[in-house]
Amino acid sequence: MSRMALLAVLVYLIILAGIGSLNGSLLGLAFPLVIYLMAGLWHGPEKPKLQVERTISAERILPGETVTVSLTVNNQGEALEQVLLHDPLPGFLEVIDGSASRFVDFPAHSSLTWKYTLRGRRGFHGFEGLQVLAEDRLGLVSRRAVLPSHGQLLVLPPAARVRRIAIRPRQTRVYSGVIPARQGGAGIDFFGLREYQIGDAPRRINWRASARHEEGLYSNEFEQERVADVGIVLDGRRSVNEFGGGRTIFEHSVTAAVAVSSALLSDGNRVGLFVYGRRFKWTPPGYGKRQRERILQDLALAEVGESQNFNSLIVPRRLFPSNSQIILVSPLQAEDLSMLVQLRVRGYQLMVISPDPVSFEARGLDGRASARLAFRIVRLQRELALRRLRRFGIQVVNWDVALPFEQAARSTLSRPLSFLRAIQRGGQV
Amino acid sequence: MTRFFIYVSILAGTSVISFGLAGIGYSIPAVGAGLCGLVWMIACWRGFQRFASPAFAVFTVISIVSIWAGVSSWLALACVTFSLIAWDLAMFVRRLGLAGDPQDRVRMERAHFARLGSVAGLGVIGAVAAARIHIDLTFGSSALLALLAFWGISALIYSLRSRE
Repeated sequence: MSRMALLAVLVYLIILAGIGSLNGSLLGLAFPLVIYLMAGLWHGPEKPKLQVERTISAERILPGETVTVSLTVNNQGEALEQVLLHDPLPGFLEVIDGSASRFVDFPAHSSLTWKYTLRGRRGFHGFEGLQVLAEDRLGLVSRRAVLPSHGQLLVLPPAARVRRIAIRPRQTRVYSGVIPARQGGAGIDFFGLREYQIGDAPRRINWRASARHEEGLYSNEFEQERVADVGIVLDGRRSVNEFGGGRTIFEHSVTAAVAVSSALLSDGNRVGLFVYGRRFKWTPPGYGKRQRERILQDLALAEVGESQNFNSLIVPRRLFPSNSQIILVSPLQAEDLSMLVQLRVRGYQLMVISPDPVSFEARGLDGRASARLAFRIVRLQRELALRRLRRFGIQVVNWDVALPFEQAARSTLSRPLSFLRAIQRGGQV
Repeated sequence: MTRFFIYVSILAGTSVISFGLAGIGYSIPAVGAGLCGLVWMIACWRGFQRFASPAFAVFTVISIVSIWAGVSSWLALACVTFSLIAWDLAMFVRRLGLAGDPQDRVRMERAHFARLGSVAGLGVIGAVAAARIHIDLTFGSSALLALLAFWGISALIYSLRSRE
């Protein structure tokens, strides 16, 4: 029941009681209530004529950075006795200084400016408009309005710095880079020997091999280093990313995807991104800082989505021909193995960076014996699945997200897989 | 400050009506009214400001019944006025909670107290003035006046609603 209705009912009741009992002193009780109602009529607000202007200090920030929102409201109409101005914040934004609301009296033809500081989680946040509630002082008569004042804020994912991701796809592009191209030519690492050709620098002549063969001279050949096509697939399926208590491992996957894409782009590679989450989003492959920005923006918008059939993942051959490098960032589940093996069979060089969901979820469990036993069983199942993947020649990085990704990448991704195998580091972090 | 005045108003309204009822020998209804006030205060303390509307209605009804029972009309008027103040402040404190700036809160509180004080004062003055006027009416003219009062209140409510 509204306040006015309640007052009216009580006034009617008092009058009825007074008339019914023929008691005039009862009618006196209605006076304060009637005066209260009349005050609302007397001072009720006019239709608010307000204009608002919004300024946001930055439209693109990193997590942890703050942004200041400034709102200037101009009253172009009559004075308003009591106005509640509320700027509804998009989800996952947090005010850390000031307030998104003001409760003020607003003189005619005046303006009000206020600021507040906020920070937020990764994602795109759109500001809708300023909500206005104009009332008389007693709050009996109110008028509502929404003043359009749109704005937007993009909170980028955290950027972990990884110096180098050592990949070795079978096929590279023609431009020089840092990835061994499996072809002899100019480079640093020794690749093989060939007969001396006119124009070869004397210091390239392999004197030891030439001494063994009387028919001619032999020159050292080095492995060419080129750039490669790399497709990064980010798995955003809800079923593998979200756990009990609203905990999600997806943010770690995004962090890994940012780090990997940045490192590969800074090495000159051609990198594309496919986000497989709430919506399918392809970022076509490209080079350089502009591509890094595109990927960052798409990763900022990445969200987990309902489970789809991951087996239907299709890598377009036009953009990523066979033998190019695919990096899957996914917590993985047992059903994904066949899809990964199929990709491998099609000739793709495959790397899986898998934030470890087992240890992640185990941290949220209590120390009961049954929970510990379940943890051991699931841990063994995962180990077996990862081992199976490695047998198919897929490089797997099992990342315990308690460690920073930089640390995990330094020990498992900065060296070629063959080197890691040689020193018995199978990609376990 | 607003919360303090809510408690004071509830306490004052409850005390005067309980005192009035106890004074004419209705001890149990007096205790009942006191308990109602206590429940209202606890609800207010726990943040259930929506409880204010039914509590205000209950205290108005208690005041009406008290006058029938023989309690002084001044005590009943005081009870209704204090209940009205407590109910108004309970609604105001909800809106005040949305004000982010502490300076806004202080300024708006002062302005609200001034308006509420003037309205309550006018109401009491009107009631006191009405108590001094004695007109003998027949039942028919009383009924006509009642109908006029109903029409007036309805017109007032209608005009208030139409301004929203």
